[in-house]
Amino acid sequence: MSHAVSFYLSTILVYLGVDILSCWSLNLQYGVAGIYNFAWVAFQAIGAYTAGVLTLGPSSGNGGFQQYIIGASLPFPVPILAAGAVSGALALVVGLVTLRRLRTDYQAMVMLVISVIATLVVTNVIGLFNGPAGISLIPQPLESTLNLSPLGYQWFYVLLTAAFTAFVYVFVHRITSSPLGRALRATRDHEDAAQALGKDTVKLKLFVFVFGNAIAGISGALLVMFIGAWSPGSWMYVETLVVLTAIIVGGTGNDFGVMLGAMLVPVAFNEATRFLPPIGRPGLIDALQWIVIGLLGLGFLWFWPRGIVPERRRRFPSRIAAPLGPPVDRRRPLGRARVGASASSPIAEPTP
Amino acid sequence: MTSLSAAAVPLEHAPADLLIVEDLRRDFGGVWAVDGATFSVRQGVITSLIGPNGAGKSTVVGIVGGATRPASGRVVFEGRDITGLAPHERAALGLVRTYQLSSEFKKLTVLENLVVAAPAQRGERFRTLLYGKRSWRTQEEEIVARARGLLERFSMTEKQDEYAGTLSGGQKRLVELMRALMAEPKLVLLDEPMAGVNPTLARSIEGYLTELVAEGLTMLLVEHELDVVERLCESVAVMAQGKIIATGTMAELRKHPEVINAYLVG
Repeated sequence: MSHAVSFYLSTILVYLGVDILSCWSLNLQYGVAGIYNFAWVAFQAIGAYTAGVLTLGPSSGNGGFQQYIIGASLPFPVPILAAGAVSGALALVVGLVTLRRLRTDYQAMVMLVISVIATLVVTNVIGLFNGPAGISLIPQPLESTLNLSPLGYQWFYVLLTAAFTAFVYVFVHRITSSPLGRALRATRDHEDAAQALGKDTVKLKLFVFVFGNAIAGISGALLVMFIGAWSPGSWMYVETLVVLTAIIVGGTGNDFGVMLGAMLVPVAFNEATRFLPPIGRPGLIDALQWIVIGLLGLGFLWFWPRGIVPERRRRFPSRIAAPLGPPVDRRRPLGRARVGASASSPIAEPTP
Repeated sequence: MTSLSAAAVPLEHAPADLLIVEDLRRDFGGVWAVDGATFSVRQGVITSLIGPNGAGKSTVVGIVGGATRPASGRVVFEGRDITGLAPHERAALGLVRTYQLSSEFKKLTVLENLVVAAPAQRGERFRTLLYGKRSWRTQEEEIVARARGLLERFSMTEKQDEYAGTLSGGQKRLVELMRALMAEPKLVLLDEPMAGVNPTLARSIEGYLTELVAEGLTMLLVEHELDVVERLCESVAVMAQGKIIATGTMAELRKHPEVINAYLVG
């Protein structure tokens, strides 16, 4: 493998890891809990900025050509973990406002507005994260300690991203495969009914919103420490739609499906367009790329709404049998009616 | 309000009343959907709430279930004022409702629909992130076993692994009923459980409700089929224009001129 190919491949693998984290992050919210978080990219961005300003050192450094807040030089992995914490904390604030009262389309609209406002604020308040120019020259983690060649460091970063992805997967899987994930899916399918059955749906949604956006923050931190720069142009609201399309294509609600979506949409599809011969005016292919991604999402929603790898049907082991004997708790005044099995007339009705 | 039975006198409820609804009022855009409704539900029987379309029955169920806030009045459950409680807090006390329209969790299997309804599940706590499956596996198996018992009882075992969204209308009704039972209720609010269900299945549901009440469950049933109400319910409250206009047995109410005027004829 040539040096260039190895470099390219390692770069793609880092992007893939970041995109998988992104897709899991949004899938927990949209696919599992039914939260329309069109502000997702803002939480990734705040993670990226947090990691940047906690790594860059004082803004007077590098000739003071950029202005930003904090300006610390914290050791690895503190900036990455802090990025997750800050994104999660911000999500808590946003969630407390948006998730308690608003539902579905209203929620989606508010999230979209939050995303646009966040971009405008960061662009116009220069002292925050250096305005439209963004922050740059962000040091890469452990680069000076490891003293590797540029290519060697590329592959180290692949391993680092893989390690974070595996670490996050453990927790994502614990949510989606547990009764907690089931309660979230019930909330997604019919929130009122879930509430009527005793589920505190606001608390459930708030939890997954904070946790999902903490992952978004970590993905942003990993990305910014790899590419070394971050500006408002990196996180326009349409970036959320790319991740959302990846989830829809891969399989909403399925951890592995959305991994596949991450490979196909932000990575494979984006990379494939790089190799197209130039057509029309400059920038036409980029513009067409957005259109095609939108059409891809709509096409899947119309013809293949469950995606390539649909949400897994959960089956319980057949060894867990129904309890034998009479129904429990007959005639318990003021007690909970734990109704069990008893004889009754068969009522099976044919499915249409 | 015209009272036909001693148990239905407003604000003087019998000690056996599990639920007391007092002077509920609720408007939508200036129109009073519920305008001073007062009635009670006795422990261990099915009480029915009947009335013509637009009488305010579903709004009352919404208020009792906690989904709708009343403008005034109060809801007392087991002697405790629950007017300000959220639906999930009421469910935790044992007050569970079903819906007029299908409310199954479409992308969950039938068995999952039941299992998810079980209260106080360890695996739903956020700390499950740290401890993993070992913290909830045993309880989960107990819940699944109980859910399978219910499926067997309701002859729905063969449907357990099907998505609830693919069931027929009647089967969805059964799933909702079983799901309410999994929540370990003391009182179930049933909002037209037989609406849109074929007559054979409706008779079966009626049979199940009879069995359940014999086992000690209390129910508040909103139903349009008066024959069903007559067969199932010991106590009936009639609503018209947001008010309870009479209470009593169905036989008594059939002779009541105001009820005949408001509901049976009009």
